[in-house]
Amino acid sequence: MSAPPLARRAPVVVPDSDYIVCEECDAVYRARPLASDAVLRCRRCGATLARGHALPLDGQLALTLGALAVFLIGSLSPIVTLELKGNHSQATLLEATRLTWESGAHVVAVLSLLTAFVFPLLVIVLRLWVMVPLVLRRPVPLLAPAMRSLNWVLRWSMVEVFMLGVLIAVVRSAGVTHVVFGAGIFAYMALTVLLTAIYAAGLQGLWTEAARRC
Amino acid sequence: MLNASYPDAADLGLTHCEVCTLVLQAPPGGVKWRCPRCGHPLQARKPHSVQRTLAWLMTAVALYLPANVLPVMTTESVLGRDSHTIVGGIIELWTTGSRELAIIVFIASIAVPLLKIAALALLAFTAQRRSRWRQRERAALYRLVETVGHWSMLDVFVVVLLVGMVQFGVLASVEPEPGLMAFGAVVVATMLASASFDPRLIWPRPDEPRVAHG
Repeated sequence: MSAPPLARRAPVVVPDSDYIVCEECDAVYRARPLASDAVLRCRRCGATLARGHALPLDGQLALTLGALAVFLIGSLSPIVTLELKGNHSQATLLEATRLTWESGAHVVAVLSLLTAFVFPLLVIVLRLWVMVPLVLRRPVPLLAPAMRSLNWVLRWSMVEVFMLGVLIAVVRSAGVTHVVFGAGIFAYMALTVLLTAIYAAGLQGLWTEAARRC
Repeated sequence: MLNASYPDAADLGLTHCEVCTLVLQAPPGGVKWRCPRCGHPLQARKPHSVQRTLAWLMTAVALYLPANVLPVMTTESVLGRDSHTIVGGIIELWTTGSRELAIIVFIASIAVPLLKIAALALLAFTAQRRSRWRQRERAALYRLVETVGHWSMLDVFVVVLLVGMVQFGVLASVEPEPGLMAFGAVVVATMLASASFDPRLIWPRPDEPRVAHG
């Protein structure tokens, strides 16, 4: 592939549509239109270069609003109710981290509060912050800080791991007690599915839409 | 074929932002430029990537022993008081019949942290030597470490949930123990180690400066 020689000047934006640079090995490719369900991979290192999303922006917005709803249900309602000799014990995520804090394991309590509650909430809220104005074709306030935070917070959001943790905790306590599933566990299952569908889009699509729509 | 030379960004006078992936003409050196789209500093490589990776790895190795030897939780019931380690929890799951879950927890809590530490040590060591050995496989190994990294948090969530769920006063209760903090710290340290590693070091340019010893 040949490219025109480029002058070494102060940063000038080369139109996004011209080149794709592989994030993991710096190989350069000419960009081409991407089908909605296609994945472009780097021929040198195999990394994902770009990915289309099966849904247009307003469809993704609907998924994100759905994710916010099930997130609120999941974190506010009991995940499970345990019963032992007529005594009942209910657990919500926030209650569990509060009790962990009170038992003296402060670091662990903060770590799980952040990765299972705060960061997933931020992922959803920051996406809405960017997507709602885009769908309304308005400029996004604080677009750059919002997108940079989103990029960071994605790495530390662990809803799917927490979901599996719930299943294992239930199995481990089932030996001594009777377990009744609460609304929280079903909400978390739905959230895991919705977030996976939303993550699939990556952030590149939002940058492109932001450049195109405002 | 796989190692055929690909034009990389520097060959074409291009650079790209590692946060928002915007492709830019490479600005003249000597000045610190920021990405015009997201504001992240433009840099050809993550600064001190190998040293920072090794520093976080050493932290993880130092905490690995207490994380696995110290108990992560104590269960209290009318039958007595029991301390559980990570391995103890896996054996308990295996013997109470849920072998599939025991295997999942073994992979998440024992295999994944060890794999991450070994893989990142290999990646940092070969990057420092500007090795061209099995580059494609090393790139795939890096992506594997990035993908599975956060699943080790599983046991932290399990204990926090058990603390929240099993609240029956004198009949039965669960308390977190210091081993859990060490375990959580191992997970965070290995995640920071893989976040510090720059995969572009797997594909050194002929003029790539040798990485200083960590």
